[in-house]
Amino acid sequence: MLRLDGVTLNYGSFRALDGIGMHVKSGELVVMLGANGAGKSSLFLAVSGLRRLASGSIKVDGDEITGRKPSSIVQAGLVQCPEGRKLFPEMSVKKNLILGAYVYRNDKKANQRMLERVYGMFPILHGKRDAAAGSLSGGQQQMVAIGRALMGRPRVLLLDEPSLGLAPLIVKQVLEAVKAINEAGTTVLLAEQNAYAALQIAHRAYVIESGRIVMEGDRETLLGDERIRKAYIGA
Amino acid sequence: MNIFFQQLLNGLTLGSVYSLVALGLTLVYGILHIPNFAHGALYMVGAYMAFFATGSLGANYWVAMAASAAAVALLAVLSERLVFHRLRHAPPLHDMIAAIGLLLFLEAVIQAVWGADFRRLPSPYPQIVRAFDLTAPAQRLMIIAAAFGLMAGLHLFLKRTILGSTIVAMAQNREGAALVGIDATRVSMLTFAISGALAAVAATLFAPINLIYPAMGHLVIMKAFVIIILGGMGSIPGAIVGAMVIGFAESFGAFYVSTDYKDIIAFALLVLILSVRPQGLFTRGVR
Repeated sequence: MLRLDGVTLNYGSFRALDGIGMHVKSGELVVMLGANGAGKSSLFLAVSGLRRLASGSIKVDGDEITGRKPSSIVQAGLVQCPEGRKLFPEMSVKKNLILGAYVYRNDKKANQRMLERVYGMFPILHGKRDAAAGSLSGGQQQMVAIGRALMGRPRVLLLDEPSLGLAPLIVKQVLEAVKAINEAGTTVLLAEQNAYAALQIAHRAYVIESGRIVMEGDRETLLGDERIRKAYIGA
Repeated sequence: MNIFFQQLLNGLTLGSVYSLVALGLTLVYGILHIPNFAHGALYMVGAYMAFFATGSLGANYWVAMAASAAAVALLAVLSERLVFHRLRHAPPLHDMIAAIGLLLFLEAVIQAVWGADFRRLPSPYPQIVRAFDLTAPAQRLMIIAAAFGLMAGLHLFLKRTILGSTIVAMAQNREGAALVGIDATRVSMLTFAISGALAAVAATLFAPINLIYPAMGHLVIMKAFVIIILGGMGSIPGAIVGAMVIGFAESFGAFYVSTDYKDIIAFALLVLILSVRPQGLFTRGVR
């Protein structure tokens, strides 16, 4: 569903991504583990077309999306819920969600159904639908961000550190929502520092360090790996 | 009473014209994050387009206004495509230099075609309206009505339509907008077109009670900058309130202080307000 080959990205003379090769199969929930600055966000921004690759190829469902505009990548079915949420802070929650369906703006009926689905998933957002998105708590803002991404009807959903800065109970809620989204048929690539929690819901995982994939495997392998336990779980 | 009313009307007229110019400037600032110095030249070209359409082509005033708005909108989009879009990865200073270059270029072109002489655009409504002992030139009332009509229209467009929301979305979070599939190029072009059309309409409204000449944009754009700094860069309500503050300050200042100091008042107010509220009057506007 999503395949990266030799993806390389430079910021000036700094090589942020160095020949990344990875894939996510249809229906899978794959976790990208890595510390701060390992290259997770760079990778996600590159996949969404917000950073220009030095070399390499990115394919969605066999279609080459490398070098395409961000808007065209969203149309191809790959939607990202970015780190830091990047909401429209002074617009209402509802407006944020509606704009999430921007590429399907003419299909009002289906958008209304999607909106109901998002409210069903996060009932608190229905209560806050007229509040400015920037006035919500961190956890609620994260729900708006995930909801907004879902409104874009992703076939592949990229979630960049949705648990960042949230209280443990909220983290659990957010990750359960991610699991539910995946079980409803959306392919998910999830970047996380919170390795233990993320691995609980994942099928497979990659570990990224200094812009390189250093390990990959299924949940059990990584949970049992000594280095992973030391570096990312701390147990 | 009548004299006070006259000043009130003058202030409202000036404020209306300044609002339309400042709104275009603040919208473009919200998208580009650079001050578009060439905006004053668009205003000036707008006046000349209306002058050309009514004078040489014999068009009706309103047709001339629409034609001028369309022509300047196109010119603004061209400036985005040919100049600012190409500089999007360059340091912000380059945009500013390019904007000043564009301003000088447009002025030179207009002067080459129409010369440096002062021109006049005849008013479509030269009559005086009388009511309750008060008198008002119909042109001024029309300026106020048209400007407020346009502002209401712009407000509805930005708040109620998806297309308008894309402009606000991009101003509030550029990457967020890209990630929901909003095409930055289209939004930039749309924003420039709107800002150009607003400048042209402002110029066509104001021209019958003012003069048309190549440097007519200078003072207007300086004041528009004062206004958006006062109101908070990128803020839409700030641009309107700021424009009204400057409009009233000028009209009352000219009357109660001296006409000679009319143009200084805007800048004196800028210094005064910024020393009290350095962040501007409305920091949380559209951004």
